[in-house]
Amino acid sequence: MSVLLSLLAFPGGLFVVLSGLGYEWLDRKLIAQFQNRIGPRWFQPGADILKLLFKEEIVPRDAHAWFFIGLPLVALAAALTAALYVPMAGIEPAFSFPGDLIVTVYLLSVLTLCIGVAGSNTTDRFSLVGATRTLTQLFSYEAPFLLALLGPAIVAGSWQIREIVAYAGQRWLLLTQPIGFAIAVIGLMGKLELPPFDAPEAHTEIVAGALTEYSGRGLGLFRLAKDVELVIGLTLIAAFYLGGLANPIEFVVKTVVLLLGLAGIQALLARMRIDQVVGVWWRYGALLALGQWLLLIGWEVFS
Amino acid sequence: MRIGLLRDAIQSFFRRPATEKYPYARRAAPARLRGALHFDPARCTGCGMCVRDCPANAIELITLDKKNKRFVLRYHVDRCTFCAQCVETCSFGCLKMSNEQWELAAQHHEPFTVYYGNESDVTSFLAQLARAKTDVVPTK
Amino acid sequence: MHTHAEVEKFVVPIGPQHPALKEPGHFEFTVDGEMVTHASVRLGYVHRGIEKATEQRTWVQDLYLLERICGICSHTHATAFVLGVEKLAGIPAPPRAQAIRVLVAEMERIHSHLLWLGVAAHEAGFDTLFMYTWRDRETIMDLLEGLTGNRVNYSANVLGGVKFDVDAEQADSIRRGLDFLQERTEHYLEVIRRDEMFLRRTRGIGVMTQAEADEFGVVGPTARASGVARDIRIQAPYAAYDAYPVNLVVEHAGDLEARFIVRVRELLESYRLIRAILDALPEGELSKKLPRRIKSGETISRVEAPRGELFYFIQSGGGDKPTRVKVRTPTLCNLASVLTLVIGHQLADVPMILVGVDPCFSCNDRAVVLKSERDEKVWAWEQLRQYGIDFYRKGKA
Repeated sequence: MSVLLSLLAFPGGLFVVLSGLGYEWLDRKLIAQFQNRIGPRWFQPGADILKLLFKEEIVPRDAHAWFFIGLPLVALAAALTAALYVPMAGIEPAFSFPGDLIVTVYLLSVLTLCIGVAGSNTTDRFSLVGATRTLTQLFSYEAPFLLALLGPAIVAGSWQIREIVAYAGQRWLLLTQPIGFAIAVIGLMGKLELPPFDAPEAHTEIVAGALTEYSGRGLGLFRLAKDVELVIGLTLIAAFYLGGLANPIEFVVKTVVLLLGLAGIQALLARMRIDQVVGVWWRYGALLALGQWLLLIGWEVFS
Repeated sequence: MRIGLLRDAIQSFFRRPATEKYPYARRAAPARLRGALHFDPARCTGCGMCVRDCPANAIELITLDKKNKRFVLRYHVDRCTFCAQCVETCSFGCLKMSNEQWELAAQHHEPFTVYYGNESDVTSFLAQLARAKTDVVPTK
Repeated sequence: MHTHAEVEKFVVPIGPQHPALKEPGHFEFTVDGEMVTHASVRLGYVHRGIEKATEQRTWVQDLYLLERICGICSHTHATAFVLGVEKLAGIPAPPRAQAIRVLVAEMERIHSHLLWLGVAAHEAGFDTLFMYTWRDRETIMDLLEGLTGNRVNYSANVLGGVKFDVDAEQADSIRRGLDFLQERTEHYLEVIRRDEMFLRRTRGIGVMTQAEADEFGVVGPTARASGVARDIRIQAPYAAYDAYPVNLVVEHAGDLEARFIVRVRELLESYRLIRAILDALPEGELSKKLPRRIKSGETISRVEAPRGELFYFIQSGGGDKPTRVKVRTPTLCNLASVLTLVIGHQLADVPMILVGVDPCFSCNDRAVVLKSERDEKVWAWEQLRQYGIDFYRKGKA
């Protein structure tokens, strides 16, 4: 019974969906404030998703219908499952096992892969270019992002999220691993395809990237999955680097402060071309993350 | 790395948004705004130059009695381009564009045909139209 | 004759509906991965038959028809037409009217360049700059509304002069607005020159040398960014530009960054010019009366629109309607250069290069000849006209 409750209501399911919508609204509102305009009203993301769910879903003639309809479901399912291992709302993760950090990160990557496959599924030019860019970006930020999340794992001596959070609760790892923090935040922006890393869905170049052919229910579910990913990513980084999440109030405060930083970066930077993204990540991101990681390993081994 | 808009963004964050919250807050329209056309029949001589110069055929001048200078102006708001050429052309100053009547959207056809003239002239003309049940009246 | 290449052709269509285009136009870019190898364009989606329509309306009515060819260069179209008609009639407008025409033209240039700056930033994904420039553009639109009565399509011109005057209070509010805009524009110039992310999207992209610019025949700020010193306001001054000389703004790098810098520096030059006009407006009447029938003859009229040289050919047969009005807009000259410049660039650079020439498709569209495989012939104007007349005559019979 409690399993069912965790899956459907809290901390998975309904709670994470609603908080995803809430965080999307906050993100858009903060960006609007930076741009000197008003921004959407509180129910806007919810209204968007609701409207999309009611609209007709048009399956393109040359696409595999099963893939087309099934991929959004898989993406959302992956995102929701990842929420079960993360300290949502500042309380203990619902489920936990050794190594669940890797599982969580890869569940989030499943989402990106689903978007990439969905884009390749159709014969639309824009989707193909968008899918290529999505997967290229995935290969760029994935390694540094994972390394940045493994930094706290190394010093905590465990690859289980619950234990890492417990360790991080005692000290702010932001202070001892600032590079890791920066890479984790920027990697999260890459994962979520937020500006300046929104080349995969650059709508002035390729309309909507991999999701161009999607409408109605499929598009609504993909967007919902991205919102859920936003919350999960924020929770993970806040829990690891900003001193753990002891209670719901800390959860809200720390994730919102992190979201403020994200919104600021989104507002201030122009979009990067996909080759520039790859260049930046493989030249600076990967090397910095690797350097930090080796430092940590060395420190752990020799102390 | 230089971020050009950093100071702007931080300042904007603490300022009120620049958006004007129309229709809850309306600014006063400037005096020269070219809104809907207004016609004053007192000085009209029925020369019809305004009708000829209108690029959109938005004005029709209906002559009820030329000698006694009784004219009715039928103004098609939906055809008007608000260029104010008629105002410029009229050498008697009968026409001007309102700066208060600029919210002209409507959901029916009726508000888009406006009749101007002396009150008695307009009523008698509309009665004439209703009797004839046709919309075609010789204008020149 | 088709040859089969080893690599399958992958064509990305941009338009007619595309978020990168503000108006419809069909571009086809053949890409290999992300690199563009070939480009082609097809226009004609906003062809409205305006040139033909001018022949059925009087000179006065045509002024307003031609003003609506485009929204952001509407005053320059009207000015070109009215200058041509006044030349045909032999009755130039009085000096105060010419000065006010130049005043509105420069304010329109400010409006157009600020709008373009926002759109170009949006194409680069730099939405914050887009929002800021469009917020500042509201200032100039409010000034224009206070001066002329409308935010676009100012209808400032009449045959023989202008419709309204500039009084002291108007001049003051314009000066205050310009002070605010000057400060913001200087800030934007700094942003364009220094913001690192933005420079990565504009520096060294779409480079056009001066020789190439001459060969393509580009005009306006696009040409001036490649070192071509051509500005109609300076080389063939019209209206009041000989009384208020313009300083040429030219850059030599020829890349996208140069095009940005040229337009922003032109903004600063326009602010200076408007202040000079307001400080020294000549006294006099606002308009002269032109006859209903214009003397027969032909004339050309060239003005510097915000996008480049705008060219009008006007022919009168002595009546109250023109017999021919031909419009050649600057975008027509600039668009062909885009097709050659994008080759070798990435797909992501294509919208930036396109917006760098400041395309205005609705200005652009004139009659298009479509060649089909079975039936190809080139129409002379008279043939096309007769075809149209016969077509409608047949339809009514």
